[in-house]
Parts: sequence; structure tokens; C-alpha cells
Amino acid sequence: MDCSAADRAGDPELDLEHIQRTMIATLKFHYEPSEHEAEKASNSYVMSLIAIMGGLPLPIINLIATFVFYLGNRRGPYFVRWHCTQALLSQFVLLPFNSAGFWWTISIIFTSEKISSPYIAYLITIVIFNLAEFIGTIYSAIVTRKGRHVEWWVIGGITNLICKA
Amino acid sequence: MVGDRWNYQFNLQSLMKKILIELVITVSVILAVWVGLSQVDWMKLLNIEHTGQSTEEKIGDLFWNMLKKSEKEITTETIVGPVDSMLTRICTSNSIDRGAIKLHLLQKDEINAFALPNNHLVVYSGLITACENEAELCGVISHELVHIEKHHVMNKLVKEIGLSVLISMSTGNGQAESIKSVIKQVSSSAYDRKLETEADLTAVDYLIKAGIDPELFANFLYRLGDESKVIPQQIYWISTHPESKERAEKIIKHIKESGYIKTINKDTISFVRLKEKLKSGL
Repeated sequence: MDCSAADRAGDPELDLEHIQRTMIATLKFHYEPSEHEAEKASNSYVMSLIAIMGGLPLPIINLIATFVFYLGNRRGPYFVRWHCTQALLSQFVLLPFNSAGFWWTISIIFTSEKISSPYIAYLITIVIFNLAEFIGTIYSAIVTRKGRHVEWWVIGGITNLICKA
Repeated sequence: MVGDRWNYQFNLQSLMKKILIELVITVSVILAVWVGLSQVDWMKLLNIEHTGQSTEEKIGDLFWNMLKKSEKEITTETIVGPVDSMLTRICTSNSIDRGAIKLHLLQKDEINAFALPNNHLVVYSGLITACENEAELCGVISHELVHIEKHHVMNKLVKEIGLSVLISMSTGNGQAESIKSVIKQVSSSAYDRKLETEADLTAVDYLIKAGIDPELFANFLYRLGDESKVIPQQIYWISTHPESKERAEKIIKHIKESGYIKTINKDTISFVRLKEKLKSGL
């Protein structure tokens, strides 16, 4: 990635005045993004939504799609890059949990592994968190389309850390 | 300048600390929700019963039971015994669990043998009578055994039929006609070329380890490849396994590369009697 923390001294994102209080915080970006930038940034979230729908139940598909979109925009304006990075990183958080669920299901279908209450509980858990991520993605797509800046819980911080202006 | 630097370092450390805390909280919340939900007896709540069988086991048994109803199974010990001995010999020499393989002989003129899910190996009497010697039959059995051992059967079904249809069938929602058509597809269509080649070449390795001449398996392919042009409808195993001559050549090449030293195999008396019995109509 072409983002590094070392180059970020004095960046507004590193000032902790805006510590997130919610899972997704709407914040003021340090410049006003143009209409074109807002559209592209919003598209990075839309891309992951489409890929989620197309890629189910394979958890890797949406990650690949978002990564491709990220590659296409990594030299774009800061606002676009920042949101492409956040959209890409957001796919990583649930990936290990989704992958574990996918392979657990496959082992139930093809091996002697049996359906159990912990398995069903795990499926419900990942459905809940995927749903939360899905809603968060829709929300982010709408808000960034209006040119506003949103930072996700965990992901926003990592994006701030690695994405340089 | 020094103040800026110090301020940056402080902010960076605070940001990393914040990320770490949020990450730990997120993972902890996910695990806590999972552990919490696991306390509920979902099996009872959703009325799910353990059948003790995986989807593959259920599909395999479903297919075999359906096939058994429509075909005549041979259970005579003097017929099943010799084929069983051949299978046992191949399995023992190749460290394959013989007990897991379910061998079935069916009374049918078609020259065919195929594997079904859950380790069912079906051999038609037509194949046995078409084999000129024991090694040829062992070759075909080894080939089907590889499909079982390498999980080609489920691989093929998932690819061609789809996982959802298979699961639906295994839960008893399949129509008899659709199950029959899937059985027909399994028994009368080839695997893709890569899987067929893998089955052929691994079968050669099985035969060599069992002390059976693998060249006779290649001969079988050559011979039936020619005969299938005359009576293609009966030679299912060849018509469904295309390019048999090309396959035979690959087998010969593999035998040469493996450094196999040719041994003379004589048919056992039981195989000779078995053929006579089958030819005379049991």
C-alpha cells in the first residue's frame, strides 16, 4: 500500500480530538471533497455490496472485488483513496470468521462432522455481524455520496494509520 | 519542530492503542455472542435430529437403494467371492480400508462399472464376461477405486448437479425420477479428462503394488476401444470414457516411467469358473 504513518505528522486524522464514540462516526474531513470524489468514494462501498450479493457463500469474492476497486483508485484523490482503503479493510475483519463458518459447513456436508448447537450459534453470530457490516456499508455509501466523511470502528483507525494524504 | 515530532509520536501511539483496544473489543464481542448463543440448545429448538450420516453417505445409500430396486443384484457367493478377492487384494496392497468399500455386482449385459458416493462400487456382469483375464477386471476396479479414494464422485456431482440439489435429495426431497436421472449421469458419463487421467495412472500404481500386470489394463482399453465402434451401446465403460486409445498410450508411458518389471499373471481358477458361470447365465 502507498500509505504510511511516518508521513502523517500533523494530519488532522491523527489528532485525537475526534475519538469515535459510535461504531461508525460521521466526521469532518480536512478538505471539502468534490462531487466526483464523493461519487467514487461511495462506489467503493457499493462495489463491496454487489460483490457480497454475487459472491455468497464464498467469503473471498467481496474481498477480491473491493481489492480490484482499490487498485483502480489507489492513485486517486485522498478522499477517494481513504474510503477505498476503508472499504477494503472492512472486508478483512469478518473474513476469518466467515471463512471458518464456510469450512465448518463444508466439513459437515462432506465429512463425519455433525450439525451442533455451537455450529448453529456460530452461523447466527456471523449472520448478525455480517448484517451489521452490510448495514454499515449501505450507510457509508449514502453518507460518502453526500461528501461527508465516515470512520468505522477499528477500520477507521487503521485506515488513518496507513493512508497518507 | 521537536514539539511537533513529540506530538506526532504521542498521537501515533494513542491511535495504535485505540485501534488495538477496539480490535480486542470487537473480537471479544463476537466470541461472547457466539458463546452466549451456544448456550441455547438449537438442535432441540429447531427440531434437528442427528441422522448419524453425512450428506455423502445419505446420497450414496439413496442412489444404491434406488439402483438395487431397478436392477438385479448378484449375491451368489461363487460369483461375488472372486471379485471380492480381487478388490481385497488391491486394497490390501495399497493400504486402502477394504471394509469401507461396498462392492455390488449387478446382472446386466452392459460393459460397465462405476463408483457411487459413500464408497459404493458397482460392477456389471457384462464387464466381467468382457474381460479376457483377471488383470483387466482388476484394472477397471482399480480405476473406479481411485475415483472413490480421491473423492472424484462427490466432486463431479457437486459440479454437475449442484450442492443444493444434492442436499435436497439427501434430506428426502428428491423426486424418484430426478434421482434416477442423476444415477444415470453417474453411471454413464465420464469425469473430466484430468480426473480420468488421474484415475488411470493411479490405477496403474495400485496394480503394480498388487503385483498385477498393468499392461493388460491398457490392452483392455485398446481392445474395447476398437469393439465400441461395432457395438457402442453395450460398452458403456468405454463409450463414457472417450479417447480410450489415447488413455491406453498414457498408461503404457506411465508404466515405462515407473520402471515396472513385467510379471506373468495367471488367472486364478475361481476367475475362470466365474466367467464360465456368468456366460452360462449364472
